[in-house]
Amino acid sequence: MAKPRRTTAPALVQRRHHRLAQALARIAQLERAAAPADVPPPSVTRRLNAILAVCAALLVTQDIEMILQIVVREADALFPGSSGPLLFLADERDERLWLRATRDGVVPPLSMDPGQSLAGRAYVAPRAMLLGAEQIVDALGTLTDEQSEQFASIVAPWPPRAAFLAPLRVEGQRLGALVLPGAAAEAHFAPHDLPFIQSLTDLAAVAITARRQLVRAAALQHDLAQSRSLHEQAQARLDAAQAQLLQSAKLAAVGELAASVAHEINNPLYAARNSLYLVEQDLPESAPQRVFLGIAQSELGRIARIITRMRDFYRPDRDELETTDVNDLLDETVELVRTHLRHGQVAVVRALDPAVAPITAHADQLRQVFLNVMLNACDAMPGGGVLTVTTHPAADQSSGGGVLIAIADTGTGIASEHLPHLFEPFYTTKPQGTGLGLAISAHIITQHGGGITVASELGVGTTFRIALPASAPRGHRA
Amino acid sequence: MARWRVNPCHCREGGCGARVSHIIIIDNDPSAALVTQRGLQHILGSDALVERIPSAGAAWLACARGGIDLVIIDPGGADRSGMALIKALRHEHPGLIVLVLTAYDTPRLRKQMHALGVRGYLAKPVELHELGTLVQQVVAS
Repeated sequence: MAKPRRTTAPALVQRRHHRLAQALARIAQLERAAAPADVPPPSVTRRLNAILAVCAALLVTQDIEMILQIVVREADALFPGSSGPLLFLADERDERLWLRATRDGVVPPLSMDPGQSLAGRAYVAPRAMLLGAEQIVDALGTLTDEQSEQFASIVAPWPPRAAFLAPLRVEGQRLGALVLPGAAAEAHFAPHDLPFIQSLTDLAAVAITARRQLVRAAALQHDLAQSRSLHEQAQARLDAAQAQLLQSAKLAAVGELAASVAHEINNPLYAARNSLYLVEQDLPESAPQRVFLGIAQSELGRIARIITRMRDFYRPDRDELETTDVNDLLDETVELVRTHLRHGQVAVVRALDPAVAPITAHADQLRQVFLNVMLNACDAMPGGGVLTVTTHPAADQSSGGGVLIAIADTGTGIASEHLPHLFEPFYTTKPQGTGLGLAISAHIITQHGGGITVASELGVGTTFRIALPASAPRGHRA
Repeated sequence: MARWRVNPCHCREGGCGARVSHIIIIDNDPSAALVTQRGLQHILGSDALVERIPSAGAAWLACARGGIDLVIIDPGGADRSGMALIKALRHEHPGLIVLVLTAYDTPRLRKQMHALGVRGYLAKPVELHELGTLVQQVVAS
């Protein structure tokens, strides 16, 4: 029997120690609660000075959290009878009030609806008001148990016997509410204090609104800058597309005209050229007319060559398109110009990506384009150089693939003043050129729904880049 | 009608018994047709009789009568009769050699002519000696 008594005595002592600690804590709490009752309220002058100080502080404060802390701190200082101000801000979307600042900085996730409890009533009130014990009990009746527990954890004594309530409003717009629960004696909270607390919340409301407007203005400015940037990018794309469209339309128009003119000229040219041939057959070898016949034939031959090039503007029908391996086509073209390359001491580097998928195209026409660009490259390297031919799958897989081709030389380069006109018909820098080669090339690539660009630097070289889709878009005949 | 009858011999004396190729030319452009006829006649000499036929219909009749070895035709242009003649000849005289000499060369026309079985295809403004070489090869074959 003695054994249990020996084991329970320390536990009993421990429990009593614990109760004693609790009682001491409660006494301390009550003493703290009663203490402000002995503090006299600040004078009017001191309160006005405090309001001015708050005003100055709020003017320079840019952070809303800091504004809330200043308001709580100053409210606590102006009303020493308070057990700690509670500052609530309304959510801008659903107007639910959330506790945002307390005297000791502990902010539990406490929220309530407008009209509910002390903060809710303060929020919907037109101006600051003072509630007595009965009104407080009535207001707290709308709290849930959980809310009551949260209040009790941050306000002592709970429930308070008096409270100042003040809305945070600017020009009719509600922002939040300030609740100042009285600590001990109701007598320390008087109606003549209401203008001070209202002034404080008005200042806070103005400062918060100004800060929010600054944030909104910054966001708008950012959005505006972003919109301007997007607009500029879209404008640049539009300008490029319009330029390409214009170039394409010009080429198409020239193509139509050239092809129809070529067809109409072929018969008279054929007749004239070969009539001279027949006349020549009947002339004696020594006839002086042979010189002029030769000139006429030579010049007609030149016209014939131009007409033949113009005919290349012809637009093929869809049924002439076939599955084409661009890598094979480039290989074949390199082989075609190999003799030319050897004579010009031009080395060829081929970097043809095997991942390039076949495309639907007019193989003969593309061969003509590649041939044209490669021969131009050879002409640009009279002292030899390197011709580099590369292919890659197009990055834009949304259009079903496609291929990017680059044909680069290490030649003399093209002067910048010539570059904008390079794809225009009859524009040439070569004495013997027709000025149709690159125009026809651009026309063919455009008809395939692709694009061709050129970059060049004098003394460094020139690169032609050709983009071809997997298949020509509808509306294009090639 | 007698103009288009097959002449077995085109030598000055006539009746020598040598086989003479009979070539007809159908071309809407009269100057081009004349140059082709005179040029080929000059190149081929007495080995061939080269004639111009004024229309595709007349050429069809000539072929129907027989004795034609080679038809040179331009199927292009607005008038589609040349194309119709080639198709008709393919069905009615599959052995008859057809050669296209056109001012309206396009890849599509070339493909069509190939599909219709024409033996040769030349685009104007080809030089006469090139045309002559091709005709000689075709006739010899």
